[in-house]
Amino acid sequence: MFPQFLKGIRFADLTWAGAGPFSTKLFSDFGAEIIKVESGSRVDPVRAGGPFKDGVAGINRSGYFASRNTGKKSLAMNLKSQKSRDILYDIIRTSDVVSNNFGPGAMERLGLGYDEVKAIKPDIIYLSMPMYGEDGPLANLLGVGMTISAVTGLMWQTGYQGEGPIGPGTHFPDHAANPYHAAFAIMAALRHRRATGRGLKIDLSQVESTINCMGLPFLEYAMTGQERERMGNRSPFHAPHNIFACQGTDDWCAIAVETDSQWQSLCRVAGLSELADDPALADAAGRLQQVERIEQAVTLWTRQHGAKDVMERLQAVGVPAGMVMNSRHLMEEDEQLRHRGYWQTLDHPEIGESQFTSPPFLLDGERVNLRRPPLLGEHSEDLLQQLLGYSAAKVQALRQEGVLE
Amino acid sequence: MSTQPLRPYTGIRIIDLTRELGSYATRLFADLGAEVIRVESKQGRADRQKPPCMPGLDSHQFGGVPYAFLNANKKSLSLDLASTAGKTVLADLISHAQIVVYEAGGKADVTLADILAVPGARIVTTVSYFGLTGPYSQYVGTDLIAQSLGGIAWLSGEPDKPPLQLAGQQSVFVTSLYAAAATAIALWDFEATGHGHVLDVSAQEAIAHSLQNAIQVYDLEKRISSRGGEGVRDATEAAYACKDGYVFLAAPLSLPASWNGIIQWMTEEGFDGVARLHEPDWADRATRCKAAMRSEFKALFERFIAGKTKQEMRDNALKRKLVMAPVSKLADLQEDPQLVYRHYFQQVAMPGFDHTIAFPGAPYRLSEPLWQIEHGAPALGQDSEAVLAGLAASQNAAGGQN
Repeated sequence: MFPQFLKGIRFADLTWAGAGPFSTKLFSDFGAEIIKVESGSRVDPVRAGGPFKDGVAGINRSGYFASRNTGKKSLAMNLKSQKSRDILYDIIRTSDVVSNNFGPGAMERLGLGYDEVKAIKPDIIYLSMPMYGEDGPLANLLGVGMTISAVTGLMWQTGYQGEGPIGPGTHFPDHAANPYHAAFAIMAALRHRRATGRGLKIDLSQVESTINCMGLPFLEYAMTGQERERMGNRSPFHAPHNIFACQGTDDWCAIAVETDSQWQSLCRVAGLSELADDPALADAAGRLQQVERIEQAVTLWTRQHGAKDVMERLQAVGVPAGMVMNSRHLMEEDEQLRHRGYWQTLDHPEIGESQFTSPPFLLDGERVNLRRPPLLGEHSEDLLQQLLGYSAAKVQALRQEGVLE
Repeated sequence: MSTQPLRPYTGIRIIDLTRELGSYATRLFADLGAEVIRVESKQGRADRQKPPCMPGLDSHQFGGVPYAFLNANKKSLSLDLASTAGKTVLADLISHAQIVVYEAGGKADVTLADILAVPGARIVTTVSYFGLTGPYSQYVGTDLIAQSLGGIAWLSGEPDKPPLQLAGQQSVFVTSLYAAAATAIALWDFEATGHGHVLDVSAQEAIAHSLQNAIQVYDLEKRISSRGGEGVRDATEAAYACKDGYVFLAAPLSLPASWNGIIQWMTEEGFDGVARLHEPDWADRATRCKAAMRSEFKALFERFIAGKTKQEMRDNALKRKLVMAPVSKLADLQEDPQLVYRHYFQQVAMPGFDHTIAFPGAPYRLSEPLWQIEHGAPALGQDSEAVLAGLAASQNAAGGQN
């Protein structure tokens, strides 16, 4: 289905790169009109960054860009020109939300600070999402997603036991914590405006947002004064709880025993009767004391089987187990995602057919269908003529002057 | 109550039947004024027992640490959910709610069918590890299992070692954030049209949706992204040991200010290693992604910063516009000068404690004071009488209109 729950809501969306566009994409997928304001001379880094169809670079060929911008419209302008600012003001007058994820001060330099925008659209909802917030002694610290992991405790806590911090292998906070806290805040602001007539400014510090996702270990620290050491894939409370090497090369299965009965089931399936009968291992405290002995025994068994086989045998008896999936496994082999119709194929003028992840839920039993991402500047003329009522001649002049890119 | 400002979810009642994956979703609504009611059995729901326990407190009554964080601002009503009378009360509560958030799985106290059978339209959001349908729908999940089957564990860690889980039960947050945003959008439609909706949120899908560009890298270029960023990530992107801890640096050629700033800094200090970084292999993006370059840069950079503290490193990052920051411990966060300046942490009074506890503050700042932590997570059944009295009042009001 193509839900139109948010039809009639318009964004002047200046977000770029990863976290911002992933947030506004949710709104276009539900029928809002997202006008992606971009520049051909200072191009969105994910348009330039790839991956590209068949490895051939091109401004409209990036899969990363495509995955963050489904269903949006693209207006490409030279944002430094006064005339593009006038166009943007005209768009903002008809918009509900202005969104950006630039560093502090960048919107002000474009003449698009909150006060200026509010002056032309008093009930505007205005989202900023700089790394560390808009003001303060570190507001100007430059960052990427991994920097956010670093300053929030996520990187410190993520790593192998007895070794240094590693952190997530991706710019993890860009891909869930920050875009979806932002989306939730925008929905709250839309409700607030509906109830009161007032807009809101949303200052989302990506660090402050991400620390909430470290709330569980943080609160333990705040209550006890004790901070746990890195544990790799182990748990301080349960054993065995790890990722085990399986039969193939780079073939892994996670096993997370959380109850004593799951322990007995694991032993039965893996043929570990000696361990099953050992009263010292009957509860989690005992198993944690001998975790290495247990893991060695489990590994001897997992090494003889493929990861999928290990998962299926253990899940069949109610033991939490999961093969560690890579992108190929997910796209080509995972039966669950295939069964639920998770992958969508969209056609695109330059990329051709490619695969997209669906929003991660079924809505009334169906998938939310996506619409393809825009080419750079694909909707510039249409937006100016149809939304703003500019004449064809005026639009032509703006293009010749280099205002439209 | 009349002096309370109108908050975004004032007047919205949510019946919370979550245990872990969905609990942060309902917390987000509670923080903005929704009345979120945990309906639990007389024994309390299983999530209260999730370790670690809170120091000196009975987890049966007060819950453990995860419970305390995920259930702030909520209410607790305890019922005999196995009895007909208890089921009737739950159905009455649901009939007066706009949203039910339900966590499926073997430990659930009530069935989804019971919830969907309650007359009237509303949003029913179900949250589970793998979704309600499909061959894994009966599989047992945990955070580690979801991180593995969702694909994030594969991408984390080092190439010659096992895949690595992310700390902090991240599948709980990823799943809840998608669930909350989708529920808010579905509610918007419900209020406009009167049409109820059912959402079936899968933790596996939520994680697979958040893998940076790994899906597209495989789809378009048939390369499998792997842990350590081998062949992809620049040699200069990692955590490095300094005098009193670690710093994270990113100085690839695509961030020229950062790379040039490091070279400049080394030059100013007369560091002998800088000559090596001027050699041509450091000017080639592909070469810089090789493992040998990574280990060489690590040794060189750690030698440069061995005598420098995290604070000196951060000062230089600001001054020189480097993408570099300390790798903070949890113990460092309350002293982070930016978070101190912004008064980020909130002191929360909690049942069972005679002093307040620091909680992470708002995940986003609104220009009006609409986000609040009003109270800690509820003791078992602490709101039973008040909730039932409120329900009776709602029923009387509804009866009076008829």
